[in-house]
Amino acid sequence: MSKFIIQVNGTVYGSTASFRALRFTESVLSLGHQVSHIFFYQQGVFNSNSLVCPASDEHDLHRAWTKLASEHNVKLVNCVSAALRRGVLSAQDALENDKQQYNASEQFTMGGLGELVTGIEQSERLVCF
Amino acid sequence: MKKICVIFRKSPIGNTSSREGLDFAMLSASFEQEVSIIFTDEAVLHLLPEQQPELVGSKDYLSTFKALSLYDIETVLVCRDSAVQFGITAKDFNFEAELASEKHIQTLIQQANEVVVY
Repeated sequence: MSKFIIQVNGTVYGSTASFRALRFTESVLSLGHQVSHIFFYQQGVFNSNSLVCPASDEHDLHRAWTKLASEHNVKLVNCVSAALRRGVLSAQDALENDKQQYNASEQFTMGGLGELVTGIEQSERLVCF
Repeated sequence: MKKICVIFRKSPIGNTSSREGLDFAMLSASFEQEVSIIFTDEAVLHLLPEQQPELVGSKDYLSTFKALSLYDIETVLVCRDSAVQFGITAKDFNFEAELASEKHIQTLIQQANEVVVY
């Protein structure tokens, strides 16, 4: 059994990177491996946007990530600075930055790049999408 | 401690990928990881001096590359084939870096625990 950390740099819609990351994570978990957490960086932070609203016959990656996180107890972590630059805010970020709305789902926590690096150190393998 | 190899592939102009890659590289180094850096493809353009990223709406993160040695990032390689394609020679370099053959780069990648591409 190995411990993985997954980094998602691809956006929630418009590229398949995030979908491939999701499938890879599901596969790793089904084989009995551990996933310490999923770290969303660069355009990957858009995956946490709770306002994502695709047509009913399309993949809803935002929902898929939150479902995977609750079913397998996997932590979803956004890079907070990457998220803020792109207008993805938690309730706390909205408060601190004097914004009227927030859009990140509660299942995604905001963290720093340090969480990615310590995650890499504690895992056997980092896989980026 | 892990050996982390950060590969830059994209141009400094027109996207912000390298800026976030650089943040990752420096943060990793400050968390006591052994970080090495490779510039290849269009990313060799990072080495050119006198660029003004502000004119195209970017923050001037390019000058931060000069600080790599302060973060104990000693191995900074530039793909020789890519440099030739873009007409860049070592005397053009704006910060400390070494031209490297494909084989040299392959060896560095093989020695790394993790390879991250920006």
